Amino acid sequence: MASLSATSLSFKAPSIQSTRIYQVLRKPSSFQSISFGRFQSSKSLRLQISCAAKPETVQKVSDIVKEQLALSADTALTAESKFSALGADSLDTVEIVMALEEKFNISVEEADAQNITTIQEAADLIEDLVQKKPAA
Amino acid sequence: MGATKLSGMQKQVLSLYRGFLRAARSKQTTEDRRRIETIVSTEFRKNSKEVDRKNFQYIEYLLRLGHKQLDQLKSPDMVSISSVKIN
Repeated sequence: MASLSATSLSFKAPSIQSTRIYQVLRKPSSFQSISFGRFQSSKSLRLQISCAAKPETVQKVSDIVKEQLALSADTALTAESKFSALGADSLDTVEIVMALEEKFNISVEEADAQNITTIQEAADLIEDLVQKKPAA
Repeated sequence: MGATKLSGMQKQVLSLYRGFLRAARSKQTTEDRRRIETIVSTEFRKNSKEVDRKNFQYIEYLLRLGHKQLDQLKSPDMVSISSVKIN
């Protein structure tokens, strides 16, 4: 793993109606991060702070996606890469989610699985589930 | 979200596909598992190309058939599947 940035700020045009704000606190691991899912501002632009998923997770997710879609190792993937832009159809997306489930030893709800369209979204969801799991 | 909205039927198909992959996961040897995965994915992809997306009756039929096959595959007695292609 070469260069990885710990935080990322991205601005997105309004698209999602969710006002979920969640906080992720991690134990002694490398970074402590607080993530604000997507919060609504009154203006037309919505601010998304996504330092939720650790770079390792994003990296792992990218690797799995590459493997599943049989992309060459040097294909550039960013957290914002859309699966569909990488040539994945809906069946591929199901396969990706299944592979992720297995790798991270989690179980993704069907409804959530269908909402994943980017690597970032996948990584965020995984972190969320991994956090919840020990408590369960 | 920018994602394309899936129809109810598409969701059913994807859910069935997920079910098959889960069933494949429960099989003992990796070899069997791979074989099941390959056959299942080939079948789904073939139908996704060949079946007219408006042919609801046929898709319904395939869904029913798929669920029956999935139930069989889920049984622990069922170890693996194989497909034979006759030209």
